[in-house]
Amino acid sequence: AAVRSRAEVDATLQTAKLNPAELLPAVHCLSFGPQAGGGECCLLQLEPGLCAELEAGRSLVIRGEKDEHAVLCSKDKTYDMKIADTSNMLLFVPGCKTPEELNADQASCNIIHSQIAGFSKNYWELRRCRPKLRKLRKLLMEDPYEGPDSQKDQASTFSKYTTEDLLSLIQASEEEILHQLQVIDACKIEGYWRILDFDYEIKLLNHVTQLIDSESWPLSKVPLCACLEELGSLEPREMIEHILLSYGRKYVDDGEVFFEMYEDKICRAIAQMLLQNAVKFNLSEFEEVWQQSVPEGMTTRLDQLQGLALVDKSSRPETIFLLKVEDLPEDNQERFNSLFGIREKWTEVDITPYIQDLCAEKQTVGALLTKYARSSMLNGVKVYNSRRPIS
Amino acid sequence: LSPSAGTGALAQWVLLELQGEVEPRQSGQLAGSLLGDLHYTCEGVPVLIVGHHILYGKVVQLEKPFAVLVKQGGASQPGPAGPHGRYTVTALIKTKLLFKTRPKPIITHVPKKV
Repeated sequence: AAVRSRAEVDATLQTAKLNPAELLPAVHCLSFGPQAGGGECCLLQLEPGLCAELEAGRSLVIRGEKDEHAVLCSKDKTYDMKIADTSNMLLFVPGCKTPEELNADQASCNIIHSQIAGFSKNYWELRRCRPKLRKLRKLLMEDPYEGPDSQKDQASTFSKYTTEDLLSLIQASEEEILHQLQVIDACKIEGYWRILDFDYEIKLLNHVTQLIDSESWPLSKVPLCACLEELGSLEPREMIEHILLSYGRKYVDDGEVFFEMYEDKICRAIAQMLLQNAVKFNLSEFEEVWQQSVPEGMTTRLDQLQGLALVDKSSRPETIFLLKVEDLPEDNQERFNSLFGIREKWTEVDITPYIQDLCAEKQTVGALLTKYARSSMLNGVKVYNSRRPIS
Repeated sequence: LSPSAGTGALAQWVLLELQGEVEPRQSGQLAGSLLGDLHYTCEGVPVLIVGHHILYGKVVQLEKPFAVLVKQGGASQPGPAGPHGRYTVTALIKTKLLFKTRPKPIITHVPKKV
């Protein structure tokens, strides 16, 4: 197509009865570039902070397999992607100057030939969402690590996952993934992320707690070196260190490494070990056995079991059973359906540990309950039940 | 799967928002065809002359800027089905020229009275 000349532009202005004196001298002659109709360009509306990240040279990644809704991940956040339609046509023009830019640059050309790079009637909208991390645990649980003596590992045909593998499979940002790996006490064995089989984990924990007991170490000052020395013949050193890291806070005192053991976490693990062997337990019997099973100097409390076990105060005698929040559905509605299927009416205190993780940024448990449950009074106490009839 | 910033500073483009459809004058090739002339008044009001229409608009600083993503790998399977694929961020858009006023037709043929 022929390039427009100044004369042609002026002729058009005259026909349009526009006064050149009222216009800035520069004109943009817009035409469609060679790729314009191709549909290869699309627009992504940026949430606050993302623009700055791109300008700083950082990447954004779109993650999701064909059967998943795509999400966009920055270094540390995850966003749902949704198409927004406008009724207007959006054209994107490189090299198009604003009036300020034209005024600032007095030497600018009289005619600027701009090529429209593409156009669209829609764009991608972003909405911050909870990272989809359930899959992470699910993948690692395909093949839990049972220890070096396990026959299973040598002959294993299950997939094992490196950091790179996880980054491509999990719909979350890298930081969120790495943080979650830490939360679930995953460890890297031979380059692959592994979760410990629970029985093996308890075995390792018992080695440590028995050693603490026989050496009469204070629970707040367990020496790493001595542990490795004493237990190194029983289990791999990396595993001993891993269990200490999982169940204690590492610190250095006078050049030596020590661990301050997490009493709550240890009591909780032992409770899980006891509870997983039966459907439910007589509460007072359980509490007795539990206290006897934990290391000397530790005190068991029911609130250590939030999100792990549930007490049934309506049964006579009172009972307790294992209910792990990680085993419940990730989707909000499904989670509530599942909880109301287990128990018809919940107090806020009882249900909170099982819905806390559903809260989006700045959302409260109260807001979730308002949305997904209906409240009523039972014996003077406020309880929540399902909004829909349970079939 | 990743839109990643290219080396060097990202280009800044401008968005033009128009009502209606974009259609080639001659049916067929859009590429290479002219859209129109974009002027600004001395007060900074954008004026777009498209065919026989004059469109007046305004310059809007976008509260939420856009990133322009270009799909890599040739095969164009655009949009809504799913953004799966490789993308590069080609440019950022922080400004748009919004043309919402009804276009004023340009009367070019005034029959002469005999």
